[in-house]
Amino acid sequence: MSFLNKLGIGVGAGAGGGRDISRGIAASNRPRTPAPASTAAIGATRAPELRESTRGSNGLKEFLWNLDGLGRGTLLDLGPAWQTTLSFFIERGFRVSSEDILREWKEFLVEEEAKLRAATGSSSEAPDVSPIGRASRFLETNLRYPASSFDAILLWDLLDYLEPVVGRQVVSCLTEMLRPGGIVFAMFHSKKPEGFQRYRVVDSNSLQVISTPALCPAQRVYQNREIQDLFSRYRTMKSFVGRDQLREALFIK
Amino acid sequence: MWKKEDAKSQGVAENSPDAAGISTAIARQGSGANRESNLSVPVSPRAAASISQGIRIKGEVTGTEDLFIDGHFEGKLSLPNSSLTVGPNGEIKADITAREVIVRGRVDGKIVGREKIQLWSTGNVAGDLQTERLTIEDGAVLRGRVEIETGKPLEKHTEARGAAAGASSKPSSLPVGSGSAAD
Repeated sequence: MSFLNKLGIGVGAGAGGGRDISRGIAASNRPRTPAPASTAAIGATRAPELRESTRGSNGLKEFLWNLDGLGRGTLLDLGPAWQTTLSFFIERGFRVSSEDILREWKEFLVEEEAKLRAATGSSSEAPDVSPIGRASRFLETNLRYPASSFDAILLWDLLDYLEPVVGRQVVSCLTEMLRPGGIVFAMFHSKKPEGFQRYRVVDSNSLQVISTPALCPAQRVYQNREIQDLFSRYRTMKSFVGRDQLREALFIK
Repeated sequence: MWKKEDAKSQGVAENSPDAAGISTAIARQGSGANRESNLSVPVSPRAAASISQGIRIKGEVTGTEDLFIDGHFEGKLSLPNSSLTVGPNGEIKADITAREVIVRGRVDGKIVGREKIQLWSTGNVAGDLQTERLTIEDGAVLRGRVEIETGKPLEKHTEARGAAAGASSKPSSLPVGSGSAAD
């Protein structure tokens, strides 16, 4: 079984006898749209239709309240580059950086798979496939920002989809990139999510939840204690539990 | 029979009605009996130059005409008063300066679009964006910083559009192609 299939990402994952991590998500009754053709940025096809709903967000409200009066703040959005989200923050004077870390992670895994195949076919040395080795390699090319360069970070629910070791190193990276007093907005699923969702800011009180084709399978559900451990270097943590099994959390450095 | 796909594949024509007109004019010239006399007919100065799919260029391009790139380009692109369109097959590794930049392919480098930058759903940019107006279609990939230069940031209608899309649950791609988002 290939490395990607082990993670539940590879094509045809679960078709064999192995345990299929992505099955739980794929088994959802939600109608699925085909995979977006935009991944490789080739072809003239349009993005697939996305299903959207709007939810109130006390976490976002509090996040914005904390950033109020900052002036020309700097924000890092680790989700997809949605115009509404960028627009929202730029209009409030923020300098926004965007990096879709989950997409980068998926592309990284595909590259790793290719490298592994190449190494198996030749006599060259195979890359370190341990989670720690992989996490280090991933962060060598991603999240390359100077220390203390952001006032705020939108982490969304990405930690649920990253391998725990990678998630831990990502949080450590973000902590370095955040200025003292800076704030992180994150979300955690209370149970394994049934579908894959992305989020964008509609206004200061609400988020748009967009169901999209799964980019990565959910890796784990974090308990409160584990979340506190992950963000142990932060001064304060505040969380908001939603009716939709989604916990919003704010961490202030 | 006319096919929509055929028309779409002609990147330049799609974005530039002038260019479409020119192509037609040239085709007519070629098939006519008085071919020789028609060769002297001047081409409109507004025809967009094109680097087609399969062409690979390394170096520096500067100019005052609109440019469409659907091939590979590496180096530096400077079209301060013109428009640059990166086609769906285009791959650019360069810092770009232009009046208007439309990205439907892949760009690795900083983009300065003096008036506006449009990222289509197939667009993929790794680099900072600096412009007066920015349009990002759903599905576009951006890895970099956004700098809006004037006090007039991203187009105001987009926020309303986002809220409206949430209420109607319609697909939310921006109408970049129709021009209403950009004009």
